Amino acid sequence: MTDPGGERAPYGRRTVATLGDVPAAQRPATSTYYGLPALKPSDWGWLIAVYFFIGGMAGAAQVIAQVADLAGRKADRPLVARGRYLALAGSLVSPVLLIADLHTPSRWYNMLRIVRLTSAMSIGSWTLFSFGTLSGLAATAQALADLHRAPVWRTVARIVGTPAAVAGALMATYTGVLLAATSTPLWASVPRLLPTLFGLSSTSAALGALSLLLPHGRSAQPVRRRLDLLSLLSGLAEVAVLRQVESAWRRRALAEPLDQRPVQLGFRVGVRAGTAASLVIHALQVLGGRSLGPLGPAASLMALASSFILRAVVLFAGKRSAVRPEDAFRMART
Amino acid sequence: MSTPVWPEFVPERGRALGSDALSGPIIDEAELTAGVRVEAGQTYGFLTDTTLCIGCKACEVACKEWNALPAEEPFVMTGNSYDNTSQLSATTWRHVAFVEKLVQAGAHERASATHGSAFQSGWLMMSDVCKHCTHAGCLEACPTGALFRTEFDTVVVQADICNGCGYCVPACPFGVVALDSNDGKAHKCTLCYDRLKGGFEPACAKACPTNSIQFGPLPDLHARANERVASLRQRHGVADAYLYGVQGADGGQGTTGGIGDLQAFFVLTDQPEVYNLPSAPSLPSRRVRPGLLAGLATMAGVAIAAAVVFAAGSERP
Repeated sequence: MTDPGGERAPYGRRTVATLGDVPAAQRPATSTYYGLPALKPSDWGWLIAVYFFIGGMAGAAQVIAQVADLAGRKADRPLVARGRYLALAGSLVSPVLLIADLHTPSRWYNMLRIVRLTSAMSIGSWTLFSFGTLSGLAATAQALADLHRAPVWRTVARIVGTPAAVAGALMATYTGVLLAATSTPLWASVPRLLPTLFGLSSTSAALGALSLLLPHGRSAQPVRRRLDLLSLLSGLAEVAVLRQVESAWRRRALAEPLDQRPVQLGFRVGVRAGTAASLVIHALQVLGGRSLGPLGPAASLMALASSFILRAVVLFAGKRSAVRPEDAFRMART
Repeated sequence: MSTPVWPEFVPERGRALGSDALSGPIIDEAELTAGVRVEAGQTYGFLTDTTLCIGCKACEVACKEWNALPAEEPFVMTGNSYDNTSQLSATTWRHVAFVEKLVQAGAHERASATHGSAFQSGWLMMSDVCKHCTHAGCLEACPTGALFRTEFDTVVVQADICNGCGYCVPACPFGVVALDSNDGKAHKCTLCYDRLKGGFEPACAKACPTNSIQFGPLPDLHARANERVASLRQRHGVADAYLYGVQGADGGQGTTGGIGDLQAFFVLTDQPEVYNLPSAPSLPSRRVRPGLLAGLATMAGVAIAAAVVFAAGSERP
């Protein structure tokens, strides 16, 4: 056996077939160690997928409520109040989910022991802590304003609402950073697109939830129309970013876990079809200028469902990609 | 009658004899076993020379013994050469990999891993371990400060701080650190932090019968490794020998993407992937800032769109 490169193999009279003896073009795409994982997968499961969804929705709801409040339209006041209450509800549920997921839950408070800016988890812990506190204050002021019809409380809510909305913007997106700042190939390959996708998905979910929470009477119709328009815009952006994310994965040959059941079903039906369907209904409502009856709430529910399924799909597909050594090596190659 | 005891172990006798070696641990034992005096403030590491490894797994056993780590349950015969350990885990901090590269001896003989030169056959063995990276992905990801850098520049998990969030596990670019389901904490090689504090050489390095695992200050190990690779290439005809985990040496494989020198580094004779190592890993924390900025920009866009939608129109109060 002669070396195709023309150099003698270095091991004496007998020849060793090493990868280095084979021209690069003929080498197998990757060689692995008995196909065993080269990386460890995250241990996160459904609790974390639910948290990504609820925390993101709460964060985006706070942003939307604050913007609506600052825009100052009286007709939007029910929306502002519901946005702040939804944000508070989400920020109360979130820590419960996160602590339940810890392997030593009794030490949850160690999350607030240090500030470490290289850790997306540390940034996230402090974000959730501030978001919860500020959301509590804003919702309390909002409740007092609603109960006493006192303008001073409305002003307080508006003042506290601004930092709460900044924390909310982080809440809606940092979970994408949390995933991307790991060595898991599927997550690490889209460090900018993943937070963007999660932010848009959070926004769609918050808009859907707020639309469902608004009073049913005629008075809320103009507000609902505005939410429809925002849902349309957010949905369009989401579809565009989702396409970019998927093509980035396919281009780098990391998309295999998306094509395996049951993730495949979630991705195709839950994420792609769900997002598209709610987008179409919102478009029809916006272009037609009127409500399509029960299709409106259905679109909101689909937006919520597809937002949750997106997190689950990304989480579980990522865990699979981590234990595929060929994907890990493809990611970690110059 | 009281139980008879050897006179050497009677405490009073020990004191009476003064510096009797049997009365306590040998001071700076690492000086005798590794020629190294362990001092705080220096950077220590492992040089794992795979060309010397005979696959005896003494390192695996010594590590388990010293650190009181339980066996993996259930025991599985993998059929992957002699490797039934398969991977590093929360309770396995040294793992000997066995690679069988088929070698053709002659036209009529079957290809086998045990053919090859007298110096090294096609049967590769490599004792894997935590790399104790200069910039450690696990440490940077840890939100509690349980993972910290010691006075020996090694990376250690403090089990009494760790709350088992598990974020270090996917963060590690080498798939080393793992969660233990029994105690709910993350665990990995400590480079025998407790032994270093006592002036001892780490257990695996001390147990290694061929000096495949060498312990010492990183600059000394680098010098020794460079010499070894040169000698392998020139004197032993192992042209493929190179260093994995040393910046600037042989393409700096393993040190890429901001990770820097691996304090536990390797002499390898085939591509890193063959040993289940990535050739160009990257530091996960590098993705934090661009990710956060992209996320905040997205939400700024959402806020602007919402502001336009809420403020526009004719329905002002």
